Amino acid sequence: MIKHIIREWRFMLTQRYVLVLLCCAFMVSGFSVFTGLSEVNNQRQTIERLKIADQTDRAEAQAKYDDPGSLAYYSYHLTYSYPSNLAFAALGDRDIYPWKHRIKMLALEGQIYESDAQNAELAQAGKIDFAFVISALSPLFLILLFHDLLASERSSGRHDLLLTTARSSFALWGARIIVRLLAIFICLLVPFYIGAVLSDTGLSALISVSLWCLIYFIFWTGLSVYFGKKSSSAPRIASGLIAAWVLFVFIIPILGDLAIKRSVESPKGAEILLTQREAVNDAWDLPAKTTMDAFVVTHPEYAAYTEFEGGFDWKWYYAFQQVGDQTAASLSIAYRDASYRKYELASYVAALSPPMMIQRKMTRLAQSDAIAAFEYEQAIRAFHQSLREFYYPWLFINSDFDKKFLNELPHYEQQHSTSNKVNFDAK
Amino acid sequence: MNKPIEQSSTSNISPVLTVLKDEWRYWLRSKLAVSVLVIGVLLTLSSVIVTGFSMSALVHEREGMQNTSEQTFMEQPDRHPHRMVHYGHYAFRTPSPLSMLDPGVDAYTGNSIFLEGHRQNSAMFAEQKQSTGLTKLGSLSPAFIVQVLAPLMLILIGYSSITREKESQTLTFLLAQGTSIYTLLCGKALALISVVLLIILPLLITGIFAWLMGENILLVAYFLMSYALYLSIWALIVLLLSTLAAKNSNSFTALSFAWILLCIVMPRIASTSASIAVPAAGKLETDFAVIAELRKLGDGHNANDPAFNQLKQSLLKKYNVDTLEELPINFRGAVAQASEGELSKVLNRFAEQRMQKELAQTQVARTFGWFSPQIAIRTLSMINAGTSIETHHRFLRETERLRLDFVQSLNQTHIEKLSYIDDLNRNNGEEASAKARVSAENWQMIQGFQFSTESANVRLLSSLSTLAQLIFWAGLLVYLLYLASSNLARRASL
Repeated sequence: MIKHIIREWRFMLTQRYVLVLLCCAFMVSGFSVFTGLSEVNNQRQTIERLKIADQTDRAEAQAKYDDPGSLAYYSYHLTYSYPSNLAFAALGDRDIYPWKHRIKMLALEGQIYESDAQNAELAQAGKIDFAFVISALSPLFLILLFHDLLASERSSGRHDLLLTTARSSFALWGARIIVRLLAIFICLLVPFYIGAVLSDTGLSALISVSLWCLIYFIFWTGLSVYFGKKSSSAPRIASGLIAAWVLFVFIIPILGDLAIKRSVESPKGAEILLTQREAVNDAWDLPAKTTMDAFVVTHPEYAAYTEFEGGFDWKWYYAFQQVGDQTAASLSIAYRDASYRKYELASYVAALSPPMMIQRKMTRLAQSDAIAAFEYEQAIRAFHQSLREFYYPWLFINSDFDKKFLNELPHYEQQHSTSNKVNFDAK
Repeated sequence: MNKPIEQSSTSNISPVLTVLKDEWRYWLRSKLAVSVLVIGVLLTLSSVIVTGFSMSALVHEREGMQNTSEQTFMEQPDRHPHRMVHYGHYAFRTPSPLSMLDPGVDAYTGNSIFLEGHRQNSAMFAEQKQSTGLTKLGSLSPAFIVQVLAPLMLILIGYSSITREKESQTLTFLLAQGTSIYTLLCGKALALISVVLLIILPLLITGIFAWLMGENILLVAYFLMSYALYLSIWALIVLLLSTLAAKNSNSFTALSFAWILLCIVMPRIASTSASIAVPAAGKLETDFAVIAELRKLGDGHNANDPAFNQLKQSLLKKYNVDTLEELPINFRGAVAQASEGELSKVLNRFAEQRMQKELAQTQVARTFGWFSPQIAIRTLSMINAGTSIETHHRFLRETERLRLDFVQSLNQTHIEKLSYIDDLNRNNGEEASAKARVSAENWQMIQGFQFSTESANVRLLSSLSTLAQLIFWAGLLVYLLYLASSNLARRASL
C-alpha cells in the first residue's frame, strides 16, 4: 500500500495543474491565518488600552465627586470580551456584535444596544478567515482536484488500460484519492497549525478542528468521486458539483433564513428604547411614591427607606432608572429570546448545509459566534446588576459613605464559559 | 455550431447574426444550458420580488416609527425645557428606492439613532445582529445574485463557446471557409450578451419602480447599464479563456478558478487587507479622548462651574447689571446653550475623524476593484443605490444637525421663557417645581425628519472612479481577446 501511495505522490508532483491548485490553497489558507492572527492581536491590544484608559477615566471622576449618587452617575465601567485562543481561525460574528462596551449605573436598556461596530461596508463584504477557507473554499478546491479523477484518464484513453493492468481498484484509485486528499489537507491545515502554536490554542480544540475538517473533506471528496463515476465529461461533472456547492453554500441557507425570519416574531429594537425612555422620563412628573412603589416590588429590602425630602434625591433618580428597565424588561427578554431562537433554528438549516454546519462548529469552538455574543451581553447585565447592588445600600440606607468603600466597587471580569445555552432568566 | 455558415449575404452584420442564432440553437438543445438559463432568470426574478417587498416594508415601518416618535415628543406635558433635552428624539433612516436592488450596508449599520443632549449616540439595532447567521456567505439581494451567481451562469453556458468548435474540428473548417475569427467571436459575444440582458431584465422592473418612487431616471439607467457592463466583462472573460484553452475541460476548470478568485476570494481579501492596512480605533476608544476634552469645557448642568465665569462676566457687561438675578434672560439656559455648542464642536471633530478613517479603510478595499470587477461593481452599485458607507455617514451628519437644532432650540426656550429665580427654586417642593416649567406648545418646534440620500449627481460623480475600473477591465479583455484570437487564427491557418 505504501508503495502505491509513494508512486501516486510522485505522479502528483509531475502534474502542474494539481500543484498550482495546492499552492493556491496553501496561500489562501496562509493569508487567512496571518490576517486572523493580526486581527485577534489587534483586538487584544485594543482591550488592554481601553482597560488603562478606563481606569484613569474613572479615577478622575472619583476624585471629582464625593457622594455615591454623583459617583455612580459620572463613572463609567468598561466591559469586554477577549477573543479566544482559537478566534484567529474563526473571527466569527465579532465584526457585527460588540466585544467592548462601557456602561454606567443608569437604566441599562438605554445603554446596552449601543454598539461600537466595525466598518459596515467591510463587514458586509465579509472577512476571509480560516473558517471561511474551510467551509466555502475547500469544497471548490476538492471539486477541482477530484472531479476529473476518472474522466481525465478516460479522455486521454488510458482508463481501460489502467483498469486491466492494475491489481486492485484501490491500488489505482484509492491511492490516488488518499494522496490528493492528504496533500490538500496539509496545504490547508499547516498554516492553521502554525497559527495555533503561535496563539497557544488548546490541543483539544486543535484536534476537534482537524477532525471536523477531515470529515468535511471526505464528504466533498466522496461527492466528487461519486459524481465523477456517473459521467465521462469532466465539465459536466464539475458543473454538477459546483451546482451542489451553490445549493449548500447559498441557496439552502438563504431559503432557511427567509423561513426563520417569517416564523419568529420579535419586538422591534426601537420599541424597547421608546418604552424605557417613556418610563424614565415620565417618572419626573409622577409622584415619587409611584416610582418607589414599583421599585420596592423588586427590592423589598428598601421598603422602609423610600421617603426623602425636597424635590430631588439620588435614590429616587436611580429608582426610576431601575423602574425604566423593569418596564422594558418583557420586551427586552422577548427581543433576546427571538435573537436566540433564530440562531438556534438556524442549526436545523445548517444540518442540511454542510458548509454552514462546519462554520457554526468552528465559531462555537472559537467562541466567536452569536451565542458567545449573547453570553457577553448576559455578563454585562450581570455586572450592571452588581453595580446596583453595590450602590443601592449607600443610596437608600447608609448615609456614612466614605470614598474608601470604592475599593469594594465591583470590577468586570471576563468569565469563560463553554456552555451552549444562554440563560435569559437572569436579570 | 455544427453546420457551416451560409455565405450568401454580403453585409458584415448578418454572418455575426448567424453565429448568434446558431449559438442560441445549440443552447436550446443542451439540457445544461437551458436549465441554467431557467434557474438564472427565476433566481433573479424571485430575489427582485422578495427584496423589493421587504425593502418597501422597511420604508413604511421606519417612516411610521419616525412619525410616532415626533408625535410622542409633541404630546409631552408642560416640563422644564432641559427635561426635554434628556427626553430626546429619534431619527430613522429610510432606505433609498434603489436599495430594493442593492440593500448594501443597510442591515449592517444601525438604522435608528437616539438623539439627546450632551452626547452623540451611535446608530442602533443593526438587523444583522438579530439574524440567523445564515446569510454570512451570501444574501438573496438582486445585487448579490447578479454580482456573484450570474457570472457562474455565464461560465456554465459559455465555457465551450470556442473549445467546442476546436474539439469537433469545426473551427478549422469554418475559418477555411472564409468566416473570419472576429465574426465568429463577435457572434458568440453577442449571444452571451443577450443572455446578460435576459438576466438583467428582472432588475429593470425594480428600476422602473424605483423611478416611480422618485429616483432620478438617468441614475437608474446608469445603474442598470453598469450591471450590463459588468456581466459583459464576464462574457468576455468566458470567451477569452475558451479561446485560449485547448479542451472543454481545461476551459471549464480555468473559468471556475477565475470565478472563485474574482468573486469569492478577492472581495474578502480586499476587506481584510483594508482593515489591517488602516486600523481604525472604535468609537469607544475615541470616546476617552472626547471625555478628556469635555472635562475641560465644564459641565453645562452646573452654572457655577468656573468654566463659565467668562460667559457670566460678558453677559453681565452686555446687559449692564451686577447680578445674575437681574439679567433679563435665564443664565442657566445660557450656560446650557453655550456648553452644548462647544461640546458639539468637540464631538463633531472626533466623529469627523472617525468617519474619515472609515472612509480611508473603505477606499483601500475599493482599490482592489482594479483586481476584481466584482469589487468594482459592488462599490459602484452601493454608491449609486445610496446604500454605501458614504450614505450612512451622511445619515450620521444629518442626525447630528437635527440633534443640535432641537437641543439648542430647547435651550433657547430655557433662556427666554423660564425665569432664572423659578429655575433655581425648581427642587423646592411641588409648587416651585410646577413653576419651573414651560408650556407644552414649545415642543411643537420639532421638525419632521425624512432622510434622503445624496442627490443623483453627487452619487453619479463619486462612482465615476469605479466605472473607470470596469472600463479598464472591459478594455483589457477586448485587447487580450484580440491577441488570443489572432493567434488562434494564425495557428488554425497553418
